[in-house]
This record gives sequence, structure tokens and C-alpha cells, in this order.
Amino acid sequence: MSWSDRCPTFSVVQPPSLMLNRIFGLETEYGLLIHKDRPDHSPTWFAHQIRDHLFHVQRRGVLDLHHRGHDEPPGNGGFLRNAGRVYLDMGHLEYASPECHSLTDIVASDRAGDRLLQHAIEDLGFSDDVSLIKNNIDHETDATFGSHENYLVSRRFPFSRRGMAPLVAHLVTRQIFTGSGRVGSAGPQDAWIQMDRLIIPRAALNTRAGARLPFQISQRADFIVNDFFEWVQHNRAIVNTRDEPLADPNQYRRIHLLLGDSNMTEYATALKLGTTGLVLQLIEEGHAPQELEIDEPVEALQEISQDQERQWLIQLRSQKTMSALDIQEQLLDAAMRHCKGQDEETDWVLTQWETLLGDLRGDYQKLVGRVDWASKLWLLECFREAERLDWHDPMLKSLDLEYHNLNQTKGLFYGLLEEGRVPRVTTDTLIGLAMDQAPKNTRAYGRSELVKYLLGSWSGIDSDQSADSERLFPPYVINWSIFQVRGRAPFPMPDPFKTYVEDVRTHLQDVIA
Amino acid sequence: MKPSTMPERREGPVDPMPQSPRPEEGGGPRRQETGSPEKDNLMKRMRKVDPKQAERYRQRTGE
Repeated sequence: MSWSDRCPTFSVVQPPSLMLNRIFGLETEYGLLIHKDRPDHSPTWFAHQIRDHLFHVQRRGVLDLHHRGHDEPPGNGGFLRNAGRVYLDMGHLEYASPECHSLTDIVASDRAGDRLLQHAIEDLGFSDDVSLIKNNIDHETDATFGSHENYLVSRRFPFSRRGMAPLVAHLVTRQIFTGSGRVGSAGPQDAWIQMDRLIIPRAALNTRAGARLPFQISQRADFIVNDFFEWVQHNRAIVNTRDEPLADPNQYRRIHLLLGDSNMTEYATALKLGTTGLVLQLIEEGHAPQELEIDEPVEALQEISQDQERQWLIQLRSQKTMSALDIQEQLLDAAMRHCKGQDEETDWVLTQWETLLGDLRGDYQKLVGRVDWASKLWLLECFREAERLDWHDPMLKSLDLEYHNLNQTKGLFYGLLEEGRVPRVTTDTLIGLAMDQAPKNTRAYGRSELVKYLLGSWSGIDSDQSADSERLFPPYVINWSIFQVRGRAPFPMPDPFKTYVEDVRTHLQDVIA
Repeated sequence: MKPSTMPERREGPVDPMPQSPRPEEGGGPRRQETGSPEKDNLMKRMRKVDPKQAERYRQRTGE
């Protein structure tokens, strides 16, 4: 029996079609909802239990034995059999998908992360005590936490304000189908905002500060206060400018986006990544429309999200006023002309993008099941009508939260799914495979081989109890683009498009010998 | 990334991405067919939600 026979991956079950020369990645920070008024344990305690169960009991991966950074001591997290990562970040459980070369794979890999953590909760018997919430806000304290997207582009990508104007136009307007929606709005952020060439306190804008909105279409829009910036926890920007390719820096750049919402619908996840991937391609190839530069993109982002009439009008640098739908249609038109027919996944994205924009011009209820904000708004409106509640009733915030509950017997999104109102982009079988299998056509495949080898070789090592010598000279160090097994030379993996799998096997054979 | 400068990575033959059912094909929203969620289990799910849970959901700011 060959290795591939014994170890099928989801690409064997359902061969993915590939979006041309693109690597996708998603990072999700989860919230934990404790159900007791006076709980015995904190959310952080539960997060530690879930992580430890995943690695020590379920043996889904190997914990780091070295310091990855000042806030990532040994044992804080580790790489998984599927070559993704689970770790604690700012007190949140976070899952980073493996590198994926198709939308099919990235959607399955993202959902695999949800399921890995939810299964750990159920396995621990914690289901009645805590819920895993895949959202981006806390209504009470205005805390926010992210869903980060990663797109590999060429180092020649025009990473300048002018070069990225079409990308910004897309990112500001795509929320009309990628937003997850929320009840209310966040208070003024402690941040500085760019207005023309001035940097001023955001609170000084006095635009919607203090206004109590019933509902807006994006969770993250209120927290984005810059157009370009490198920080990730303060002064969050539409485009994060940190240059960390996690690959050969001479060939690649990683576009890192943190303005998006976590999506519950697979359809919105696929369209978010698919349309953004195509806009990046238009820019790379010099075909992106240049006349769509938005005058004040941060303001536009928030105005679109909060527009109760859903007119979504914004002003361009040219002083022309356009709607978000018009801008999206221009981007779609350019993608139709230059990208159509290049691969099957691109054609799927183009078809669905066109359909979605058409439906967005009609009643929002047509989008229920495909677009998260529309699905949530419909549920809330039905409940409000039945119970005769006004928008300020606290129950609506609780329902908002429940939409994102990953417990399939409770979560409102899963209620919609159960009712047959939600189209699927992947299958439960593929998600199940993606929990322990890496895509077979990226660097993740080689890393997955390493993790499985280590799980079989270093089963006795406990990051909490390992000796000082183990901490100083850990048996293994794994990172996204390089690893080292003790006693061997470092093994670089600078090309995310390469699997390295045969080289990794040879390297590990040498270790065994 | 221009195809001419990047190696072609496709591992054909490949199957098309699963087609999302169009609403009229039965996989999408069916608001017009079934009316409000009062007629199905969605309203039951919503009524089971703890009204105070949003107050209890206190998270740290992340990234």
C-alpha cells in the first residue's frame, strides 16, 4: 500500500481547482462565552484547557518548545497535523490555516479550525459551560479581535498608496457582501486618523460618536482608523503594511489584511477571498481600474457599514459620487475582461460575484444564507416583529452573539443551515479530512509530514516539564518557512508553492538513521 | 503575479469548484416560500438564547 493510499487527503477525495498562482491563508481569533453568572473559571482558563486537550490528549499537533516571541513562550501553541497552527494570542484561542492554493481548500481548512476547537470543547465536556464564538466584537466593552487574511503576491506588486488604490476601493466596498453585521456600534476609538495630510484624534471628528445605531453591516469597520499602517492591535488599517512575507522575500510579498469580519457562511468566505484575489491579480497585471480612488477611505468604510438606508454612497478622489455597488461592478467588469476563463475557480467566483451584486440591488432577504449580515438582520427582524422588541432591547445583542456560536445544536447560523437555507461551498467530509490533512499542493504538505513524524518520535516531551537543556536546545523548532530538528541542519521552505514533501521525508530519514 | 513569470502550479486534471445552489434551485434563501422563522425551528432556537449572555461576553481586545 502506498503512502497516498493509506493517507488520503481532501485533494484525493475532491480534487480542487486552483486559483491562478495564489496562496491563501486565514487567521481567526475566537471568543469564549462563559454561561454562568459566577463562573468557576475565566475564559483564559478555558482557553488553556482547550489548547492542552487538543495537543496533549487528542494529539492534533506538536506544541512549540521554544520561545517564538515575547508573548509566545514554549507551550503557548503549536503546529497541527494539517500544518496550520493553534495558539493563544492576547488571551484568545487563535487558529491559522495552512497555506492553501484553492478556495475549496481554504474554506475547508478554515472550517476545520472551527471544528477542531469545538470538538475539543465537546470532548472535554465543557459544552454547557462555554461556547466558542466566531465573531469580532464584544458589545459591552468594545473589545475587538480579528479575522486576518493573507494573500501571497509577487515582490513586484506595486505596494504604494497609488498602486493599491484599487485594492482599497475593493476592501472598502466588499463589506456589502462580506460583512457579518452587528447590533449597535463601537464608541470612539482611542486612535489617530488621517484626514487629508493631517493626523487627528478620531474622537475629534464628531461624526457618529455616541449615536446608537440599530444595526450595521460590518463588525470591524468601527475599529479601522487608518488606510495604511503596520500595527495590528492599535491604529488598525485597511491595509496592514508590515513586510513579513514568511517566504523568500526576493520573490514574494504577503498582503496581510485585518479589516475583514469572521464569516459564518462558507459562501461569503469564498467570495471574500476569491474577489480579493482577483483584484490583486488585476493590480499585478496592470488591468485594475484606476479611476476608483476613494477620497476618504476610512470614513467611507464606516459610512457604508452604518448606512441605514443601504445607499452606500461614497465620494471618490475625483469628486465623483458612486455607490459601493457601482464600484464593485466596475471591479467585476475588469475581472470579467481580463481573468475569465483562466481557471474554473476564477469562473466560479466571477459568476457568483455577478449574481450577488445583482441580488444586492434588490431586497436584502434574497441574500439570506449567503451573506452573513443579511442572514443575521433577517433573523433579528423576524424576532423583533414576533416579540415586539425595539432595537435597543439587550436580547438583540445576545441573538447577535448566538449567530456566531459554533455549537451546532445552539448557534443561529447552524439553525439556518439545518433549515436548508444555506448553500454550501465545501462538505462535512472535506472539513473532516482538513482537520488532520494538509493541502497536497503547497508547502503545508511538507510541514504536515514533519508534524506527523514528530508526533511519532517525541511523544514523551511535555513543554511544561521539559528540562532546561530541552528549552535551550529544543528537539525541534518549526516556523512557517523553516524548521530544524535537533542535530540536523535547518530546513528552509521559502517557496509556499512547493510541497517539499520528498525532501522532508529524506531529511527525516537521515534523522532516524 | 504574472503567469509568464511564475511557474504554473496546476495539478490537472481538476474538478470544478462545487457550484453553490442558486436560491431558486433549493440551496439558498427561501424567505418567500416559508415566510418567517416562526414556522420552523429557528424561532425556537432564538427563544432559548439567554438574554443576558451579551452582557456576560467580556473579551480582551486582540489583533
